[in-house]
Amino acid sequence: MIKIVLFGYSKTGREIAKLLHPDEYELNIIDENPLHVAQANEDGFFARHSTFNDDKLLNEMGIGEDAKILFCTSSNDSLNLFVTLSARNIDKNLKILTLIYKKEDEKKMLLAGANRTISPYDVGALKAFRIIDKPQVSKVLNLFSSHTNKLAISEIKIVKDSILNGVYFNDTNIFREFDLIFLGILDRELGEEFIFCSQGLNHKIDDEDVIVVLGSKMNIQNFKQKVGSK
Amino acid sequence: MIARLIVSFVYFLDACKNYKKAKSVAYDILENPKSKIKPYFDAFIIFLVLITVSILIYDIAHELPYHFEFVENLAVSIFILEWLGRFWIHDDIRLDIIKYHERMINLGLKPSLVKMCKIYFFKKIKYIFSPMSIIDLLAILPTYRPLRILRIFLIFRLLKIFRYTKSLNIFFKVLSDKKFEFNFLFLIGIFTVFLSSTIMYVFEGIGNNPNITSFLDAVYWAIITITTVGYGDITPVTFTGKIVTLFLVGGGFLILVLATSIVTNALSDKIDIVRENQLLTQAHKLNHLIAIFGFGRMGKTLADELHKNKKKFIVVDKDEENILKAKELGFMYIKADASEYETINNVVFKNDVEKVVITTDSDALNLSILLTIKAEKKDIEVIVRANNDENIKKFKIAKADHVIFPYETVAEVAVEYIGNSVKFDAIENILLQNSSIILDEINILKGSNLIGKNMVDIGMKELNITTIAILKNGHSKNYIFNPDFYTYKFEEKDTLVVIGDEENIEKIKKRISRQFA
Repeated sequence: MIKIVLFGYSKTGREIAKLLHPDEYELNIIDENPLHVAQANEDGFFARHSTFNDDKLLNEMGIGEDAKILFCTSSNDSLNLFVTLSARNIDKNLKILTLIYKKEDEKKMLLAGANRTISPYDVGALKAFRIIDKPQVSKVLNLFSSHTNKLAISEIKIVKDSILNGVYFNDTNIFREFDLIFLGILDRELGEEFIFCSQGLNHKIDDEDVIVVLGSKMNIQNFKQKVGSK
Repeated sequence: MIARLIVSFVYFLDACKNYKKAKSVAYDILENPKSKIKPYFDAFIIFLVLITVSILIYDIAHELPYHFEFVENLAVSIFILEWLGRFWIHDDIRLDIIKYHERMINLGLKPSLVKMCKIYFFKKIKYIFSPMSIIDLLAILPTYRPLRILRIFLIFRLLKIFRYTKSLNIFFKVLSDKKFEFNFLFLIGIFTVFLSSTIMYVFEGIGNNPNITSFLDAVYWAIITITTVGYGDITPVTFTGKIVTLFLVGGGFLILVLATSIVTNALSDKIDIVRENQLLTQAHKLNHLIAIFGFGRMGKTLADELHKNKKKFIVVDKDEENILKAKELGFMYIKADASEYETINNVVFKNDVEKVVITTDSDALNLSILLTIKAEKKDIEVIVRANNDENIKKFKIAKADHVIFPYETVAEVAVEYIGNSVKFDAIENILLQNSSIILDEINILKGSNLIGKNMVDIGMKELNITTIAILKNGHSKNYIFNPDFYTYKFEEKDTLVVIGDEENIEKIKKRISRQFA
């Protein structure tokens, strides 16, 4: 059970909440707007009303304790900024993903302690652009969306006794066996950057590495069992 | 009998391919703003006009050499041909006559000759007396020798030049919007001139002033004075005359100032509209345009991407600030309210728009734009932004080709951040095009010599390009996920959706482009 705190039950917040399966995630919602709180309660989530500078409530919701991730998704950039800063102040290791609406705010958010920022309008615009520029690509990407549920992207952490530990990926045929596409790897030895297999390096897979694969959900499930990921 | 002959002739014309082709060629040369020949033809006519007018001026003090006459005759013949051509293509009367004939047949009546002639002449006469046609005729008629007195009208040929410049039309339109102010000014002017010339004539016309012998002299004096020209050939001599002159000079100055300010005001009021008109004319000339409604953050990001990829697009927004942004970035823009039919008509229907993206933050407005477009032209591809999840279905019912609900898309990306966030980086890099690894599509065309070959044959393995899926006939319902490098053989109309390094994909595409070689 991973504990997640969501600040701002906005349109984006609501969509995120919908996607998180209640069996896997414990979701705590905070919002400034009592109407949003009521909406969240109605949708069946645990939500509390709070002003943005209530550090005590952040703490009660799990920040600085057992919460792993904070999504700042209110529809106001400055509120997101303030909460990002407060949360970072409480917990140095918390993962914070913050929504931005104005491009100028990105740097501020990162400075305030957000790990990543994301903008709904940019994502939407790029989606529209892809439909115009590469219609077939967007058709394939739709197969990965939560609606169609046909294909999935999954990450798998390699454990010490995995059969993939110590294997060069050009030497293995295991991805073909499971009808998966090996997208790339995060090698802890080489730093935090994700390496796409399309960059053409024949990489050695070690324990603690994380690999990303594409494929149907069932094949991914079987593959995970085989390579011994938890 | 004659009526029947005419009708059968008209039907013959309508069936004749060459006739239609000739007409469309003439249209391309003379009127079609999109044609490539028209600018050359226009430049040629302007050149002819300048040459003939120069000859006219030269002719006044010199004897004309023989070949000059030839040039003049040639030019006039071309002008006549041009006018006849325009007369011809002005409308398709054969269609009107066919329509009339069919209606009569359906009603069981006999088509009347008189009525057909009426149809013919009504439209053609309307053309002959249109301002543009009159300008053309003025350029031709003075050449007729018995009317040599009309030679001076040859100068009207210069007017022909204006036919080819839109700016004069716009200028007159701008001024005509200030009709009330000009009328007022004109009345004041007439009144002042009349008043002062009458006073002048009364006091100085009876022998006091040798230069003023008639009322016309007094009017001439008043106009020369009021316009601040002041030749000084007629000057007041009496005390009353001098006083009147003082007032007239003051009044004249005021009227001039007023006139100048009206013109400048009118121009500065309309300069935006003039510029937009220019942009619209520019847009008329482009093919496969993309129209973006709403230039907020989403519209702007989209426009940036399209601009980077050298796609042609036009931005529509009514917000002053947004339009200013588009202007600064040098994009084509129209400041207009998209909820009005006229805006969509001007931007979408009158241009060769292929795709429309609607990105405003109001679902009601988005729906109205979508429906307006789909009601008139079904085959324009429309991508629409939904701002509320309940409305996604409504947009689909309204036949939107794609609905984007940005909040959901961003949520999907955001939840990938849970876990090791490796997946998030991978997806973000690809989707937001942050790295050199891109998704792209490669088409296998019909009749290509690649059919039957596999992916290793075209070098995809050595360039590390992975095929995620192959779409059959471009349809997402019929796809092959993760095809094998060796065993999958290309078939015609396959689309490969691939992931790989941008440069490598470019290389493959170049190889593929020679697929018929």
